[in-house]
Amino acid sequence: MTVRKTIPVVIVFVVAVVVMMDYFLVLPPVSEAGKSWTSGAVTNIQNWGIILSAFALGFGAVNLFYFHSRHISRRTPGQWMYSLWLLIVIVIFTVIGVSMGATSDGYSWLYNASFFALSATVYSSLGFYMTSGLYRALRFKNLESGIFVVVGLVVLARNAPALTVYFPALGVWGSFISDVLTTSAQRGIMIGGALGAISLGIRTMTGRETGFLGKLTEEEKGGGAVA
Amino acid sequence: MAILVTGRIFALAMLILIWIFILWNMEEAKKQLPSFRKLTGLDALPEMVGRAAEMNRPVHFTTGLGSLTTTVAPQLVAGLAVLAHVAELCVNYGVKIIYSVYQPQVMPIATELIKEAYVTAGKPEEFHAEESVRFLSDQQFAYASAVQGIAERERPAANIMIGPFYAESMLFAETFNRIGSIQLAGTARGYQIPFFAIICDYLLIGEEIYAAGAYLSKDAMQAGTIRGQDYGKAVALILIILGVLMTAVGSSFIVDLLGM
Repeated sequence: MTVRKTIPVVIVFVVAVVVMMDYFLVLPPVSEAGKSWTSGAVTNIQNWGIILSAFALGFGAVNLFYFHSRHISRRTPGQWMYSLWLLIVIVIFTVIGVSMGATSDGYSWLYNASFFALSATVYSSLGFYMTSGLYRALRFKNLESGIFVVVGLVVLARNAPALTVYFPALGVWGSFISDVLTTSAQRGIMIGGALGAISLGIRTMTGRETGFLGKLTEEEKGGGAVA
Repeated sequence: MAILVTGRIFALAMLILIWIFILWNMEEAKKQLPSFRKLTGLDALPEMVGRAAEMNRPVHFTTGLGSLTTTVAPQLVAGLAVLAHVAELCVNYGVKIIYSVYQPQVMPIATELIKEAYVTAGKPEEFHAEESVRFLSDQQFAYASAVQGIAERERPAANIMIGPFYAESMLFAETFNRIGSIQLAGTARGYQIPFFAIICDYLLIGEEIYAAGAYLSKDAMQAGTIRGQDYGKAVALILIILGVLMTAVGSSFIVDLLGM
């Protein structure tokens, strides 16, 4: 493994071991609050994470400015006016935030009247997307989709109070589907997911995870059996 | 004073056991590569990128919300493993890749992964970081709107979403479906899986996304970790069955054991 890959792997390994030790063990010296020395180390690691994230946000902002200013200078059809608007909004927010403070009335008004309202609007539009998705999903195409239609309609009916008044059995069936069938399936997915995360963690700590370090060379694969 | 934290002793024992399973299987895999169950979604990646090449449209990729410092970080890393593979396919097929970024910490990693794909293919001059890796916003619905904007303006032929997704999952899946993109989605967040299942063409459920990197790399030792985690699953299954039986006969042994 090259030095470029070895250093991140070593950092990840050491940090992961310290964080796990803090979760499972109480190692001396222990403070009066019952915290071991690893607690302070983990707090420091978390602070480093916050600092690095803040730097990364600056990196993101540079990327944003570079990408959109190129579109403005090239007058990219269908894009440049949005890019210009984005940069204007970023400048307005930055100027008001820096000059008046992020907790000032002026900044709060600007945030609530624009960003907050727009976010709520996008979130609300989810209702329409769910309806159109449901319309396509509830079609009787084969056995699996048939089961899906029946189960979906029972759960839908269970959540409609008028129907459960006249057909109380729908409430019982709906509860059985949600509380027994769905919950057990969800727990199966959760257990599998947790084991998968542990496995991925080990691969990351041993430098074999491609998502973290990029593709492994044949030499780095260690000459094991190849498919 | 106890060195082990009460209530976490059994969890530690299980973690050590799973570690042993995985490390042992990594060594065993050097002798013989374990066989994989087919993951149709991952096998379809060349077809998806090929479609984009035929239509002369880009491939869109995103890893959803979350960051590298939270509990969903493994999902994010799993998404990046697929990104590395998709970037390689895109470079080979001559297709533009757009990676929409929510978490700026991921940008340097993603930039390196995509750049590596171009360099390996001998086309470093074709790599434009700002075009391929786009930071949109670290606010959920601003990011969601920006991704929808990319979908509407640039009309990607394929959309790949692997990572932790929240309320934006349905917005993405529906928007890309409307513009005719072929879609692969994968997440370990249970509440979003049904949304992806009803709309997307291919789906990776839960642990399948963690196996993606190993599946695509064909690296024997990575494959060994997958078999190791299957051993862990067998232990979990045995504990569940024992727990059900012992609880049914009035014993709280398993419950007490898990609470140690």
